[in-house]
Amino acid sequence: MKDLTKIEEILLVAIWHLKEKAYGVKIRQYVSAVVGKELTYGHLYSALNQLVIKKYVNKSVGKTLAQRLGRPRIFYSISLDGVNALKAAMEMNEKLWSGISRYALEKEK
Amino acid sequence: MKRKNTPPQIPGWLIRLFAWYDDGFVVFGDVCEEYYEIMESRGRTYAKLWFWRQCFRTFPVFISDFIIWRMIMFKNYLKVALRNVKKQKGYAFINISGLAIGMAACLMILLWIHDELSYDTYHEKADRIYRLTIDANLGSQISAPVSMPPAGPAMVQEYPEVLQFTRLTRPARYPVVVGDKEYFEEFVAFADSSLFEIFSFPFLEGDPKTALKTAYSAVITEEIANKYFGNDDPIGKVIKFSGDEKYFITGVVKDVPQNSHFTFNILRSMETRNAENRQLMENWMNVSQYTYILLAEGADPKSLEEKLPALVDNNLGTILKSIGGSIVLHLQPLKKIHLHSDFIGDIGAQRDIMYIYLFSGIALFVLIIACINFVNLSTARSSTRAQEVGMRKTLGAVRHRLVGQFLGESVLYSVFSLILSIVLILMAMPWFNAIIGRRLSLNIFQVPWLVPGFLGLALIVGVTAGCYPAFYLSSFQPVRVLRGRLIAGTKNIRFRRILVVVQFAISIVLIIGTMMIYKQLIYMKSKELGFDKEHIVVLPGLRDIMQTSHQTMRHEFKNIPGVINVGASSMVPGRGVTRSVFQPEGFSRDQSQPMDYRNIDPDYLPTMGIEIVAGRNFSEDLSTDKDESVLINETAASKFGWKNPLGKQFILNPDQSDQEGETRLNVIGVTKDFHSMSLREKIEPMIMFYDTTEYTTLAIRIAPSNIQKTLGLIKNKWKELWPQRPFEYFFLDDSFDSQYRAEERMGDLTLRFSLLAVFIGCLGLFGMASYTTEQRTKEIGIRKVLGASAAIIVRMLSKEYIVLVAIGNLIAWPVAYFLMKSWLDNFAYRTSLALWIFIATAFLSLAIALLTVSYKSIKAALSNPVDSLRYE
Repeated sequence: MKDLTKIEEILLVAIWHLKEKAYGVKIRQYVSAVVGKELTYGHLYSALNQLVIKKYVNKSVGKTLAQRLGRPRIFYSISLDGVNALKAAMEMNEKLWSGISRYALEKEK
Repeated sequence: MKRKNTPPQIPGWLIRLFAWYDDGFVVFGDVCEEYYEIMESRGRTYAKLWFWRQCFRTFPVFISDFIIWRMIMFKNYLKVALRNVKKQKGYAFINISGLAIGMAACLMILLWIHDELSYDTYHEKADRIYRLTIDANLGSQISAPVSMPPAGPAMVQEYPEVLQFTRLTRPARYPVVVGDKEYFEEFVAFADSSLFEIFSFPFLEGDPKTALKTAYSAVITEEIANKYFGNDDPIGKVIKFSGDEKYFITGVVKDVPQNSHFTFNILRSMETRNAENRQLMENWMNVSQYTYILLAEGADPKSLEEKLPALVDNNLGTILKSIGGSIVLHLQPLKKIHLHSDFIGDIGAQRDIMYIYLFSGIALFVLIIACINFVNLSTARSSTRAQEVGMRKTLGAVRHRLVGQFLGESVLYSVFSLILSIVLILMAMPWFNAIIGRRLSLNIFQVPWLVPGFLGLALIVGVTAGCYPAFYLSSFQPVRVLRGRLIAGTKNIRFRRILVVVQFAISIVLIIGTMMIYKQLIYMKSKELGFDKEHIVVLPGLRDIMQTSHQTMRHEFKNIPGVINVGASSMVPGRGVTRSVFQPEGFSRDQSQPMDYRNIDPDYLPTMGIEIVAGRNFSEDLSTDKDESVLINETAASKFGWKNPLGKQFILNPDQSDQEGETRLNVIGVTKDFHSMSLREKIEPMIMFYDTTEYTTLAIRIAPSNIQKTLGLIKNKWKELWPQRPFEYFFLDDSFDSQYRAEERMGDLTLRFSLLAVFIGCLGLFGMASYTTEQRTKEIGIRKVLGASAAIIVRMLSKEYIVLVAIGNLIAWPVAYFLMKSWLDNFAYRTSLALWIFIATAFLSLAIALLTVSYKSIKAALSNPVDSLRYE
């Protein structure tokens, strides 16, 4: 199994959340809102392409719209490998964070 | 949707340019979609700003991805390219070696041209240094790079923009005495001390400002210092010139760089001449020295040149008016001297810019031929790569990526070739240097542009040579090539044929050129010169000895067995001319005629084998001959319209206005015309005097047998008579023929480079022929089975190339004709443009082409058809 980078992990989770609506614009807006920082399309597609190469997501071509100047939407969905990778990442996160409470972190301030 | 609401164009275009795969497409769609959303909620301006920002922040990521992706593909391309080299060693060898030879030839010529262009550029003030030249009309037009000695000082005084002047005499050969040793030294001259302020000759010892300030001081080069004094400090040492002139050494400079238009070994102070003969140095009619001036920064040479007529008028006006002549001074930029001036009697051997053009042309041609090989072979072999192209296209390669791949491949080839060509250059450099008479080297520290230049050349060659194959190969339709059938398009074949024709046309022009140059050389060396140059030993530089012991010398040498005759003169043919104006009978003083003049003794004409066609030679027994008689040549007689020249007179009038002082000289004989300079120059009218004080050289005719023995005897006699003086001699024929060294070099170089061009062309032809023959293996097999003989098959395979070469000849002939005609126009006496040369070249080129092609075609024709038909 290939490692996930942080941004890939975030994108996978975002695609999971967005379900059928997971295409460029929505993913970017969702991630930007969650992270609280503007994500550019460059970074977005760079990471998405890595996910494609690692075969964690599948692409499918959607409708062509006028406001996209004739370009189709490309929808992303998580593959079986992707689900496994997400699971592994989640387990790792849980292990990593286990025993640490929000209260403990806030107290340090 | 309104037009002005559309997203900005430029960033969108940039995104599409840099994104990989279909990203550009989708990303652009995404950005646009969001752009409209934002426009609705926050307005158009904000949306536009957002768009720009989004795009710009996207680029860095895209670009870095782009580069990483390229690297991955590059590894694959490189692997495929190297595999191809390995798989087809023969073609790779022909391609790479052809390109390498072409590049090596081109680079060597470029190095040489760079050297020629670098003349005098090392002087720090080079851009502001000018040389005074004159155009004088004193009965005839004379142009010379020399000027009057007082002109420099006057210019500095009168024009503020002239900062400095320096005068230089022509560097010549002198006997130099150091201690008890005597040397003959080349390049000894007089110069003003300001020479070192104008030119940049770094001093090793001594002070440049004062070195040549005083009379009888001298500056020598490092080489001479080592030769004369070894490890001793040369400063303050004494060297002696002719008799008792003692010079103190006040400075040592670094050896004069090779790329200087003049060179010197010893400089004596011009102050010496001032002290010895001030009148001569202040005489405005004495035109004998090279004057260089340094202009102030930003000064305009044009406007200074316009002021110069006034200077001449102030100082020479009255004299010029009285003889009805004119003198115009010009300024010649220092950097133009070496390549752009063609004065007779310039300070050193200068080069004609024509040779630079000529060899640039040859360099380019050789390179073009090599590139054409590359193009031809790669397109001819296209079917072997077609499968790969089809495969790549099916797997999603875009056309411009494929173009990039093939271009990269050809650049790779050219880089291999570059490496090989550097090895070739290193091997060929000594010979090339021997031909051009220079010391060039592949030293990247001396020539800083070498590395970028070489890499640039490799890139240019790779891209030009790879361009057509790349576009051709990448145009294949995957469906067609993968089905296994690639029918070579007729367009492609026609293109290849045109290239072969061009290749041969270039080679043929070079061959014809080489043959014509050699024909002219042979003509010049064998033409009847009017004197017999064989078996004459010349002893030069004897002015001082001859003044006292001319008679002794004559008799002593004449008595040596093997010596036929001995004649003294002021100049032997092939060593330059002395020219002045004379007033022949029937011409007024204003119509004085320019003539070459010589001082000879009565034995000179018989020694040289110059015939007298009318009248008689000078005679020792007639005392009047010395002062009152002259000889002229046929050209002079016919130019002055003298049907019966004997008894005609020349009027000598040293004092311009005084009628009393004039002397009259009778013409007592007319000699046959003889060449006193190379055959580039016409024979000019000549006048010969019998003045015993002006002899400088002795010509000794020796018997053709036992030359070495006779020479030894002469040498012994010399040692006996003048033990102090080194014996120095040359053979007249060598010396005379050395005037054609430039042409010889050119012949040598064009010969070698055209051989190279032909060889590269043949390499390509061989590759092409073997490829096409291979392609037609099956056809040949079927033909043989059906009864074709080997001869018929060879003829069939060769026919195509013969037609191409014939067309090449037709194209090349007129080009060669005009080129060589304009080259021959440089010579006053020239050989004809013979038709047989053209025909011989045609046969030669056909024969070469046939030989090249025949190896493969004969092999194919003799092969057993069973073998060729069995496969599949």
